[in-house]
This record gives sequence, C-alpha cells and structure tokens, in this order.
Amino acid sequence: MFATMIRPLLKNRKFIIGISIFLLFLMLGVLGPIFYRVDPTEMTWDYEQPPSKSHPLGTDTYGRDILAQLLYGIRASLYIGFLAAIISLIIGTLVGSLSAVKRGIVDDTLMAITNIVLTTPSILIAILIASYLRIRSMEIVAIILGLFQWPWFARAIRAQLMSVMSREYVYLSIMAGYSDLKLVIEDLLPTIATYAFMSFVLFINGGIMGEAGLSLIGLGPTRGISLGLMLQWAVLMEAVRRGLWWWFVPPGIAIVALTASLLVISTTMDEVFNPRLREE
Amino acid sequence: MGTGSQTLTGSENKMTLKPMFKFLAKRFIFLLITYIVATTIVFILPRAIPGNPLAQILSNLSRIAQANPEAIRAVEKALMKEFNVDKPIFVQYSNFIVKALSGDLGTSITYYPRKVIDLIVPVIPWTLLLLLPATLVAWILGNTLGAIAAYRRNSWIDKGVLTSSLIVSQIPYYWLGMIFIFLFGVRLGWLPVQGAYSQGTIPSLSWNFFIDAFKHYLMPFASIVISAMGGWAIGMRVMVVYELGSDYALFSEYLGMKDKRIFKYAFRNSLLPQITGLALSLGGVLGGALITEIVFNYPGTGFLLFKSLTTLDYPMIQGIFVILIASIYLANFIVDFLYALIDPRIRLGQGE
Repeated sequence: MFATMIRPLLKNRKFIIGISIFLLFLMLGVLGPIFYRVDPTEMTWDYEQPPSKSHPLGTDTYGRDILAQLLYGIRASLYIGFLAAIISLIIGTLVGSLSAVKRGIVDDTLMAITNIVLTTPSILIAILIASYLRIRSMEIVAIILGLFQWPWFARAIRAQLMSVMSREYVYLSIMAGYSDLKLVIEDLLPTIATYAFMSFVLFINGGIMGEAGLSLIGLGPTRGISLGLMLQWAVLMEAVRRGLWWWFVPPGIAIVALTASLLVISTTMDEVFNPRLREE
Repeated sequence: MGTGSQTLTGSENKMTLKPMFKFLAKRFIFLLITYIVATTIVFILPRAIPGNPLAQILSNLSRIAQANPEAIRAVEKALMKEFNVDKPIFVQYSNFIVKALSGDLGTSITYYPRKVIDLIVPVIPWTLLLLLPATLVAWILGNTLGAIAAYRRNSWIDKGVLTSSLIVSQIPYYWLGMIFIFLFGVRLGWLPVQGAYSQGTIPSLSWNFFIDAFKHYLMPFASIVISAMGGWAIGMRVMVVYELGSDYALFSEYLGMKDKRIFKYAFRNSLLPQITGLALSLGGVLGGALITEIVFNYPGTGFLLFKSLTTLDYPMIQGIFVILIASIYLANFIVDFLYALIDPRIRLGQGE
C-alpha cells in the first residue's frame, strides 16, 4: 500500500521541488549548527557588518553572526511548528472521530465547541495568553499555537468518517461486535490517513507562521533564537529603515521557503490523491 | 450540494423573508455565545495563570505606593476598585461583563488617569481604513485570478497564477512590508518609511493632508493586498475546478451549453464558500494587519496593543481585545447577512 501511495507522488515534479526545498531547510536546521560552529549569541566588535568572508551573512547590532542565528532559528521554528502540529493533530483527530462515532449529544457538544473555537480569532487569543506569561519556553509557544488550529481538521475528519461509516464493511465490523476503539483504529483511521498527513503538513506551516507572528509582536519564546525572534530584533533595532538588509531578509526567506514548500507538498498530495483535481 | 434552482410560486415568494431571519437569528445567537465565551477567556486568563499577573501588578504598585507619591497611590486605588480583587470571582465576572457592555473598559495604567476606551477609539479608524479596503481588494482580486486560472486550466496563465500564489500567499504581510520599506522607502526614496502621516502635520480634512496620508497608506495597503491575494486565488481555483467537474456542469456540457455560461454558474457557486472563508479568515487577517502596523509604526490598534504589551498595561490589553473580538464577530455577522442575501437556499429556507 505504501509503495502505491509514494510512486505517483515521486512522478509529480511540483511535489519533488516542494519536498526538496523542505528537506534542504530541515537539513540546514538539524545539521547546520553542527557544521557551522559559530555561537549565535557571541557578541563581537564587528557590529552591523554586511556579509563578508568571516561572517557569510553579516552581523547584527551586537556583532552576533547572522548565519549562525539563522541556522539555529530554522531549527527552533521547525521544532515549534512540529510540536504545534502534533498537538493540533491529536486534538483534531480525537474530537473529530469521537463526534463521528458517538453521535448524539457528544457530537452536538463537541461540534459546538469546535465551531466556537473556529470562529474565535485564534491569533488574538494566542497573543492574549502569551501576554500573561512572563517566561515562555518554545514548548509553551507551541502549545499555545497548537491549541487553536485544530477545528477545521476536526470537522473534516468528522465528515469523512461519517461518510465512511455508512459503508458496508463498517456495518459488518459493527455487527461483528467491534468496540468503538477497535472500529476507529482498524476501519476508520486508515481512511483518513492521507488527509491527516496533508493536514499535519499544513499545521506545521501554521505553527511556523504563528511563531513568527507572536515573536514579532514581542510574545515569542523568551529564550533561544527563532526565525520570528530574529525578525523582531531586526524591527526593534530599526534594521529595515537603516538599510541593514542582511539582517531581516534571510529569516523572512527561510520562513517563506519553509511554509511555501509545505504548502506545495500538501496541495500536490491533494492533486495526486484527489481524482477530481488530478491533471488529465 | 443542490443546484439552487427552484420554482418560485406565489406563496413561496411571500414567505421569502422568514427563513432568512431565522437563519440570521440563529447566527446572531451563535456569535453572541461565542463572544461571551471569548470575553470570559479574556476575563479568566489573568486570574487563572499561575503567579496571577494581575495580583503581581497590584502588589508591585502598592509597594511603590508606600514609599511614594499620591499619583501611584491613586492608580493603585483605582485599579483595586476596578478589578474588585477582594470580592468573590463571580461578582468580579458579572461586573466585568456589565461594564464591558456599557463601554467602560477601565483605566489605563500607563496613561493614568485616562480611560482605556478614550485611548482606543481614536486609533480604531486607522486600523479600519487599512484593513477593510485591503481585505476586500485582496478578496476580489484573488478570487478573480483564481477563477480565471481554473477556467483556463493547465494553460500558462493557470500555472503562473498557481505557482506565484503558492509562494506569495506564504509571505507574511509584515515581512513583505519590511521589504517594501527597504526597497521603496530606503533605497529608492519614493515613499515615506513610517507612520500614517508626516510628523508635525495635524490630521485635518485638507487636500495636502489627504495626499500625505495616501503616500503613507500605499505600502502597508499593498503589502496586505499582495500577500492576502494568493490564498484566495488558490482556494477559488480549486473550488471552480471542483464545480466544473460536478454533475450539473457535465450535464450542461452534454446539453451543449456554452463554456462561458457553465463557467458563470460554477463561478457563482464557488463564491459562496469563499464568502464563508472570508468570515473565518478575518481573525488571522486582523492579526497580520496588527503586526503590519507595528512594522510601519502605523498609529492603529496594533501599534497601541504593541505599546501596551511592552508596558504590561493589562486594562488596556483587555480593553483592546474586548473591542477587537467584538468587531470580528460583528464583521462575521455582516458576512452572514450577505451570505443569506446571496444564497437562495437560505433565502428560501432550504439550507440545513
């Protein structure tokens, strides 16, 4: 089954481009700091230097190396994105499948909550929560972001499961006396696996974007370096209006490259697995 | 999905308005409940988070107040009274809701003794003037582009629109804003690099002020429009492609209907989900616009929020959120209203 899923994807040029860019940045984040051994927090007297041989991407106001910051920033942003995505995926799957399987009052309550969270301006609530926390670790930022992006996924999962559950093989399993849990794991989850994976990819995207937004408003992680924090420092130090392009351009490019490649991965998967969108 | 075609007999026509009001009333009640939930979160958060930031501020203030001046003591007294810290939580909550509904959002700490509401009201027009036109223009342009791409599927237009939208939609508004400031403001010197009008000028209704404000407006406006457009284009393209592949479109094609006409139907049916999407995206758009204001030092709500976040002016932060969330729900309701007007299934009471 795995091979039949992967093969058509590998034939899709857009998918290859998307996944290559993503893997490149993943490598930069994971392996970059190991090969480029410069301390991103070390202050030097070479402050606000444009790119040169000793500092390939220049330095900031405190003489810290931008390339080192960028590599650590990619790592942190990916970490936050993944963590937020896992949280959203778990909540969404639980809510969606419980709703679909239990129906009745459980369904009504869960869907009411889902709709409320869906309509609540999540980034605002995230800003509000973050503003009350004096110390914010990367994990806390990820949790805050993960708590709000699951509703559309839960609704889609519920709708998909509902349609699957009216199929005959599910009836047979129910008649055979499967427990709810066994039913979900054996019959239902496999049908939503690709959709869940595509959503997971988009959740990572949302986590990276959310971190950047929170950080820019001054509510990012209080320790460490992320892509959002780099942008925030650049804004605080007026890097943009003083023309220090090497400071604020690289983190932005990294954010766009990461999120755009994730979006391409998800949309091409949609095209490949969704017969109505397939290119003839 | 239904086809949306029904026969209008006389009796049905008379009943036209009733289902629509029912739909709107339902939506209104839902949004009201959601708003109450949201304001409850705004209320509970400072009191529930470990270390209780509110109590911290108060105790800090009272510590300084012991050593010192009337002014700080006055702030402390006012805050104590406003937050009713000594009263039971339920009394605090009902007070908060009643006051919020009557427009009393408390007193700012940083700008004591000015009222929060008096500080927020003057900055709201700037945010609205930036956000509303930018969002609408992006929505219209994006949907048009997306529909054209779907109509000319697999042509170079489609590929161009899709590829550029995929990238552009992922550029955060504020980063595009930074690039614009650097390119057009700093390097080329065409446009002013910050603010909503030149320093030293006083907002007035003169022609000169208008031109000045317009120059300051262009870059933040363009950065929101351009990066918001991509998402709409992608969504619309998928939607139209879906519609064109659906039974009614295929049937019309077999009947020999002109492509353009089928496309028109598909376009109209695809617009409905995009309108819902507009309502759902408002929160995110607002969040992005607030940060864009910070980057541009644009004197709107986002800039005020940023300032109060750095000074931890909690009454102000709470006040801004109560107003922002309320305005998002209001906008949601307006979108629902438009939706009800446009969708015949709701107008005639056949939806859900």
